[in-house]
Order: sequence, then structure tokens, then C-alpha cells
Amino acid sequence: MLFNSLDFAIFLPIVFVLYWFVTDKRLQWQNLLIVVVSYVFYGWWDWRFLSLLFFSSSVDYWVGLVLEREQSPRKRKLYLWASLGTNLALLMFFKYYNFFVDNFVTAFTFFGTNISARSLNIILPVGLSFYTFQSMSYGIDVYRRKLKPTKDFVTFLAFVSFFPQLVAGPIERATHLLPQFYIKRNFDYDKAVDGLRQALWGFFKKMVIADNCAVHADMIFNNSSEYTGSTLLLGAFFFAFQIYGDFSGYSDIAIGISRLFGFDLMKNFNFPYFSRDIAEFWRRWHISLSTWFRDYLYYPLGGSRGGVLKTIRNTLIVFLVSGFWHGANWTFVVWGLLNALYFMPLVLSHRNRIHIHGISPGRNLPTFREFLSIVCTFVLVVFAWIFFRAQDLSHALDFVGEIFSSSFFTIPQFEGQYQAVSTLILIAIFVCVEWRGRNEEYAIGKLGLTWGKPYRWAFYGFILFMIGMFMQSNETPFIYFQF
Amino acid sequence: MRHLSFIFNFEMTVKKFLKHTILFALFFLIFYIGMVFVWGVVMPPRFRPNLTYPLGAHGFMHTRIQEVKNTKNVDILFLGSSHAYRGFDTRIFEEKGLSSFNLGSSAQSPIESQILLKRYMSSINPKLVVWEVFPATIEGDGVESALDLIANDKIDYLSLGMAWELKNISVYNNLLFGFFREILGMDRDFEEPRSDGTNTYISGGYVERSLEYWHVKSMPAKRLTINPKQLEALEKAIELIKSQGRDLVLVQAPSTTAQYGSILNNTMFDSLMSRQGYYKNYNQILALNDSLHFYDSHHLNQAGVEIFDTKFIEDLKTNHWLK
Repeated sequence: MLFNSLDFAIFLPIVFVLYWFVTDKRLQWQNLLIVVVSYVFYGWWDWRFLSLLFFSSSVDYWVGLVLEREQSPRKRKLYLWASLGTNLALLMFFKYYNFFVDNFVTAFTFFGTNISARSLNIILPVGLSFYTFQSMSYGIDVYRRKLKPTKDFVTFLAFVSFFPQLVAGPIERATHLLPQFYIKRNFDYDKAVDGLRQALWGFFKKMVIADNCAVHADMIFNNSSEYTGSTLLLGAFFFAFQIYGDFSGYSDIAIGISRLFGFDLMKNFNFPYFSRDIAEFWRRWHISLSTWFRDYLYYPLGGSRGGVLKTIRNTLIVFLVSGFWHGANWTFVVWGLLNALYFMPLVLSHRNRIHIHGISPGRNLPTFREFLSIVCTFVLVVFAWIFFRAQDLSHALDFVGEIFSSSFFTIPQFEGQYQAVSTLILIAIFVCVEWRGRNEEYAIGKLGLTWGKPYRWAFYGFILFMIGMFMQSNETPFIYFQF
Repeated sequence: MRHLSFIFNFEMTVKKFLKHTILFALFFLIFYIGMVFVWGVVMPPRFRPNLTYPLGAHGFMHTRIQEVKNTKNVDILFLGSSHAYRGFDTRIFEEKGLSSFNLGSSAQSPIESQILLKRYMSSINPKLVVWEVFPATIEGDGVESALDLIANDKIDYLSLGMAWELKNISVYNNLLFGFFREILGMDRDFEEPRSDGTNTYISGGYVERSLEYWHVKSMPAKRLTINPKQLEALEKAIELIKSQGRDLVLVQAPSTTAQYGSILNNTMFDSLMSRQGYYKNYNQILALNDSLHFYDSHHLNQAGVEIFDTKFIEDLKTNHWLK
């Protein structure tokens, strides 16, 4: 079920009423309801993959219980690996099987040995990378004795399958989300209204910014051989706002909806395009995944302790794995590698934490130096997005090659450029609103709160009106569903 | 007592939330309707992609609708997409002693054909309905044609039914905007030019295009996927025609061989149409030249129209379609 669908518009109020009225506010009933509606939500897409979700959850629940009882370090490690192995095996099969088979065949052919291996027609279950990572964090935290395992199977199923964040995150840590299922949820008016406001902004990002940018980005990327360098760069620019609007919009909707049910999810995006260097960008982009890799991969590998070479190795591993997490394609690996190359000078010179505070606090505009840093970082990010969006490596290289040719100095021309002007104006307005709210939880978090009710409602009404005026007629899936 | 107080507070806050949500929904409904009108009047088309309101935009639907209101008792009524209004030249039929009216419109799908039949079939009172069934119109969502109909024809309960059927934000916005324009009489004085230099509206509903030839190119192969909503509308419209005792012929006008050959499941479509009634596919009857008889991959030029219409009239007489 998509958030931006009529099905969900009917589903959500029904769940809300059932949750707060029919369950009689009993914790067990509410958790059970969450499991049922989350499985309905997921099964709406393809009910066959519910078994996978259930299987992954069951294994981790069982491992959690065993880890609690078991005292032998060797056996505990064995059980942890059983949990990690199961989740990774699911990921490997559904997401990476064909990639590895194809690349093995290519590699053997390159060395003169012809082998035949069959690719399988595998459907990637929606959200697999998200819920397996969330589930794995539980196993690891219980193993590290940072978290007491839950003995309530229903609660654990609810934690893994919680529908607002099931298919595209934020990837919650068990230490943060699971305890929220243990305590009685009280309806909080202000929290619920704030949640609706955040969800509204998320819908605007997705349906107005991302979906309109997608039209132009798709047109330019899918026909890149016909366009000049300047047009291709504009295509990459549109994609940058498509992916930001799409993914951060999803996160805002997920966080906002969770608040309606009394839950607080972690922040996933913190105005990343205003970052002043790449290190700051990665502290602001897909925070739940970046911190996941930091806590469960980078630190266990040794982090930046242990010398320059180890730091380089660990940084490379994290970015490569992060790229690979996004999909079974070399383009994602190169995207990860590029980001590692951007990041490396900062970490080696110990300048990766110089921008840990808010952006231009107390000022309306950035200083010239800040502005330059923001623009340079954005250009680097956009350049890397080309690899992320390209169909394959040769497509990406051709794309980049054309940008660095003389055709860069031409006026962009492409089908739909007339409409693209209005999309650019929408982006400009969007950036201004985001800049104004850059130090808030989300861009319109505090905007209009001091206004009188008619003005405030007119403001929310206007955002909804803009959605009605600029949304695509057909339901458009979120980009990160494919990961 | 604490428990009771919690329940009381809970009831109060949730009720307050629900009350405010419902009030906001009502406020928003009024706000949205007002904004659609203001935005539609003030903003240039590029800033209202979901409010295009194509009044007299293409296909001369506005002129056609004005004319059909004064048309009565014809032999043949043509229906369908641009293949109908660019394929059946009413002058050629007139020359052969057959009166006709062409009620085709751009991308007209069965959902809109059904509405046009309900609105105008009784007053036109045709003996025979000739429906051009271009596969893409049975495949598509029908939104383009719905917007054409909303902007160029009246808005009534049938328009509401169509909007409900299509469930499309553009249709809703245009319907609201069209409703305001209608009650304020904003389109009353609109005069559509009868020619745009390339296309000329011919009295009777036909649109003649200045003679051009298609530069042949290959088309990517594709399979037709029937939209069940369109099929249902087609069946209902056929039922309506038959219930009024009128004869019906379903026709597929010729496309270029490049276009027709690119569709991999034409036989499925032919068999589906044959089940609906008397059906003729002129792609299998006429051997036309892709360049000499077409101005694009699927529209006949005037030379092609003359061959097609002559053959159609011949078939009409031979098979006694017109009783």
C-alpha cells in the first residue's frame, strides 16, 4: 500500500479509530492491532512475502530469547551469527543472487572459462533491506547486552512490522523503538497535530517536488544520448531533488503518522542539501542507515582508531557496503566509492566534525564562506547521484563525459522544458521554506504556529491545494521501495 | 479515580482532535473549491498542470458541440477518437446521399462516448451509429477526452458520474473550474476559430488537415492491455444504442502498417470487438501506403480518407448496414 494512494487514505482513519477506540487503550490489544494492520499494509503489495517478514521476525525473536539464557561466549556468538546469517541470506538471495551469478559468469568468461549459470526471475520483496536491518539491530543489541530481549512475541512482531516505517524506514534501533511498545500510549493532542503537520510536509515533498522532478529527470536520464552536457547536468539536478523529496518525504510521512499512534521515530533527514561538507552531509542524509553502519560496522571494525591505513580501510568498507545496500548494481558501488573519496580527506585531516552545529544559527542568510561550502558540497553530491541514477556504469560514464564536453556551454533543451520552468520555481520556493526551517525538526515545524487559526488553516489548505494542483495523476511509488 | 480521570482526558483530547480534523476538512473543502477558481483564472497554464481546461484547445470540440445541438435526424452518427473526426469526411457521405454527423473527439474513450450518446443520440436520431474503436482508447484511462468534454460541453450529473468513474485529480479540478465558469457564464461568448492554419473544421464535425505525408519509421513493439473500465463502458454504450433500436457498426480505421504491425496482439482485440457487435477492421481490408496515405503513424491524410470513406460507403451499401 502506498502512502500516496486512495487505499491508504481509507486505511489510516480506520486504523486510527480502531487503535484509540476499539482496543479500549489496552496495550496488548493495541500491539496486536499494529501487527494485524501492518501485515495487511504489507500484504496489500504481495501477501506471499508476509511469510518472509514473519520468518525473519521469528528467528530474531527466538535468538533474542536464547541469547538471554546462554552464558557461554562461544555459543552466544554462534546464535548471533545464526540470526545475522538468516537475515543476510534472505538479502543475498532476493537482492544479490542474480548480481553475483552474472558477475561470476562474466569473470570466468574474461579468464577464458565459459560456465553456464542460470539467473532466476526473483521478485525483490518491498522493504526487505529495511526490516532485516532493523531486525538485525535487535539481535546485535541483545548480544551486546545493551537490550533485554522481549518475551512477548506479539510486541516483537509489532516492532519489526510497524507499518509507517516498515517498507522504507527510518531503520529503527531496537533500543529506541521496542521500549515504546512496552509502555501505555496516551493520546497527545499536540503530538498528533504535529504529526499531521509533518506528514503534510512529507506529502508535499513527495507529490509536488519529487514527482514533478521525476518527470524531467526520467526524460533526461532515459534519453541521455540525445542531450547536451548542460541538459544532462540539469537532469542530475532534478534527480537530486527527486530523491531528496521522495525519500525524506516518505520519512516525514512515516514519522508523522507514527506520532498519531503515540510513537516517536528517529529523525532520518536533517536538511542535507545545506551541508557544508560531505561529512556533515552524511550526518544529515538517511541518518538511520548511516548511524546503523557506524554503530554496527564502522565501530566494530575499529573506526578511526588504529592508524591511518585502518581508518582508510574502514571508511572504504562502510561506504562500499552502504552503496551495495542500495542495490545489486556496480553503479551503487561506485556511488559509495565516490562518497568515500569525498569523505576520506576530511577524516584523515580530522576535519570531519567541524560542522556539528546548526547551519547559520540566528541569521537569515549564510555567510559567503558558508554559501560557497554549501554549493560545493551540493555539486559533489549531485555528481555522485549521476552514478546512483544511471542504468549501468557505461551509461554513467557517457553521461559524465557529455557534461565535461563543450556541449556544457549550451542552453538546456529537452522535451517538457516548458513545464520544467515551473518545476524549477517550485524547487526554489521549496528550498526557501526548507532554509527558513533548517534548524527545526522539519521545515514547517514551527511555521505559522503563532498565526491565528484561519491563517494557519489557510496555510495548510494551500499546501494541500498545491498537492492537488501539481501531483501526478497516477500513483507513483517511492524510490526507496526498490531497496 | 485516576483511571476515570485518564479516560475523561483521553475522551476529551481525542474528541477535540477528531472535531478539529472534521472542521479542517470542511474548511479545506471550501478553501480548495475557491482556490481552484482563483488559480484557474489568475495563473498561466504552466502553473496549473492539473487544471488545463482545454476550451477550444484541439479537435474543435467546442464548435462540434455547438453544431450538434442543432442537428436532427441524420442517417449516420460517427463516434470515436481523432480517427473518427479525421477519418469520416461527412462531405463524401453527403455526396453519396447520406446525411451524417461526426461526434468524434480527441482520444475519446468509451466512457466519454457513453456520455455523448446519452446527451445527444435522441436529438440527432441517427439510423446507424458507426463507432471507430481505436485500440489505444480502450486501453487508456480516458482522462484527456474527459477534460475535452468538460471544457467544451455542458456540466451535468453525467459529468459527475464520469469524474467518479475516472478518479483523477485533473478531472476533479477541471470539473470544479468548469462548473464555476458555466454558472458565471464565462464561456458564453467564446468563439472557436474554425481553422488553425493546418486543421479546418468542416460543418458536420469532420476536421480536414492540409495534405502532408508521413516519413516512415519503425515503431517499438507493444502489447495491448484492455482497461476493464473502458470495456464495461463500451458494453453499456452498445446496450444503450441497441435499446433505442439503432443499428451499430464497430470499425477500426486504418493505421500505417508500421503502427498496426507493432501491436503484437491485434487478433485478441479483433476477437474482443467482434464479440461486441458487427465489427470491421479496415487494416485488414485496405492496402494503403504508409507515406502517401497518412500524415502520421496512425492518422489518414485527405488522400487516405477518400479511399477509406469510399470503401466504407461501398461496404455500407453492400452489407445493408443502413436499413
